Amino acid sequence: MLASSVRSGTILLFPTIGEIFAERAGILNLGLEGMMVIGAFFGFVAGNLTKNPYIGFTIGMLAGGLAALIFAFVAITLKGNQIVAGLALTIFGLGITNFYGQKWINTKLAVPAQSIAIPGFANIPFIGPIFFNQDIFVYFSYVLAIAFWIILFRTKSGVYLRAVGENARAADAMGISVDRTRYFWTFVGGLLAGAGGAYLTIVYAPFWLDGITSGRGWIAVALVIFAMWDPLYAIIGAYLFGGIDSLQFQLQATGATIPSSLLSMQPYLLTLIVVIVATFIVRAKHIGVPRELALPFYREER
Amino acid sequence: MAAIPLILISAGLLLAFKMKFWNIGAYGQYILGAMFSSFFALHISPHTPSFILITVMCLAGLVGGALWAIIAALLKLFWEVNEVISTLLLNYIALYILDYFMHGPWRDPSSHGFPLSKSFAANARLPILMHHTRIHLGLVFGIIATIVIYILIKKTKFGYENKVIGENPTAAKYAGINIFRNTLIAAGISGGLAGLAGMAQVSGIIHMIQMELNADYGYTAIIVSWLAALNPIASFFVAIILGGLEAGGYQIQMTMSVPFGIVGVIESSILFALLGGELFKTHKLVFGREKSHHPIQ
Repeated sequence: MLASSVRSGTILLFPTIGEIFAERAGILNLGLEGMMVIGAFFGFVAGNLTKNPYIGFTIGMLAGGLAALIFAFVAITLKGNQIVAGLALTIFGLGITNFYGQKWINTKLAVPAQSIAIPGFANIPFIGPIFFNQDIFVYFSYVLAIAFWIILFRTKSGVYLRAVGENARAADAMGISVDRTRYFWTFVGGLLAGAGGAYLTIVYAPFWLDGITSGRGWIAVALVIFAMWDPLYAIIGAYLFGGIDSLQFQLQATGATIPSSLLSMQPYLLTLIVVIVATFIVRAKHIGVPRELALPFYREER
Repeated sequence: MAAIPLILISAGLLLAFKMKFWNIGAYGQYILGAMFSSFFALHISPHTPSFILITVMCLAGLVGGALWAIIAALLKLFWEVNEVISTLLLNYIALYILDYFMHGPWRDPSSHGFPLSKSFAANARLPILMHHTRIHLGLVFGIIATIVIYILIKKTKFGYENKVIGENPTAAKYAGINIFRNTLIAAGISGGLAGLAGMAQVSGIIHMIQMELNADYGYTAIIVSWLAALNPIASFFVAIILGGLEAGGYQIQMTMSVPFGIVGVIESSILFALLGGELFKTHKLVFGREKSHHPIQ
């Protein structure tokens, strides 16, 4: 049960970290849901055609990254409205996967990924089986969260990245290319959203259904606020929501007396409550929100 | 016939978007409107005069949708909760509320377990305007809504204040504009019209309430109002065009089994092109290198 919370949380952890970085660079990409569903679909198809879940995962990531580049071109190069462009990306992702996905509906993944226990760690009582007897993608997400925290707060590129999101003009004067930084992190955000989606269809629910991400992209957008733009908090948030998600499945499976529609509603309702609380804390402590989030940068206007 | 809900929803959305209240929740507001009005269709005596019942249902649709949008507006006004996220999450919550009612209290016992309600009685159905079509009285609602929104935006103080809040909230605050009240009104109107669209769908087209209400119009309407550059008159015509695209999408899905997703791909591509193209309204491309005026080289 707790091990499955970690798996369910991993679906959210990848896109949340990606979006944290994009937002830190001043880009609000609301196309998370679209990029996730693209990653989920193309990852699933590639995994099925090659019969290799690892190739599938990689292709899913790349597909998410490519989708992010469409957004980046519109939002960064052409300075289009980021909120609407993000929605357009979501509509695009749901549309294109519906278009190509018909013949894959209810197909099962040919070769699912295997769990690999980490020797030593997996034997730690309680924690071991939950965190260290998982598949390779979960380990990848641990490394990623920690590495990205280090990049963000302990390296020069992290400082540059934050500078671009806080005050693009000052960053530009320092000689940082605002557009290049934003492009790069939007692309990374797309890769990670694709990874989250691909993890969903390759490990968590190894089959294809139309719109299989069912709002997880939006929950991830909300988790960014919960995490206060910090990758380490994102781990807590993602596993918390993973826990709610898998709890709801367990309850439905055991045939509890609560109607299933109310159980299915839980993740969204709780996300809403958590966002309200998190927004409250963010505001009280004056932290977090990158100052120039969703504002385009016109270099020529000095 | 997809045009009627699109006209209604986008007329409301553009009002909210003008003041940069990003109501992405028309999907949920539409569902709530459909549910509120269905409540009266299913529970009021079928002998009530049609005029009264339809009026009550319209009001219920307006109120249901408005309530759902106002929740997000209040969250934003009191606690600065991002309305994009709250309206979106409220969409899913609305969907599962509908799911609950369709699998419980409202399911018709004779539906063989399908989540369908009883058919609405004749007096709960919107009258058809033209024979041999499905164009119903909702079109008149759409025309009225378009005109009202046009007048609101162009001719009233509210419309002007709305614009100021959207373009410069700080200036609006110092000018003494009541942001609280204006946001609530704009959110209420946009949610209300989405709710009315939901009412028009159940009362004019489906004649019952069920899981499949075509609430996706709530997302398409965002595209409509954006393509119309937030102009109510333009939005009326864009709604008819995109309504045609949607109807065509359903047609080719049924007759040629082309998946409906193609409509989303087309719509989002148009939107991307439009968003990108905005830049060229204010900026000019210059090829080659101009002399820099920057003192430091």
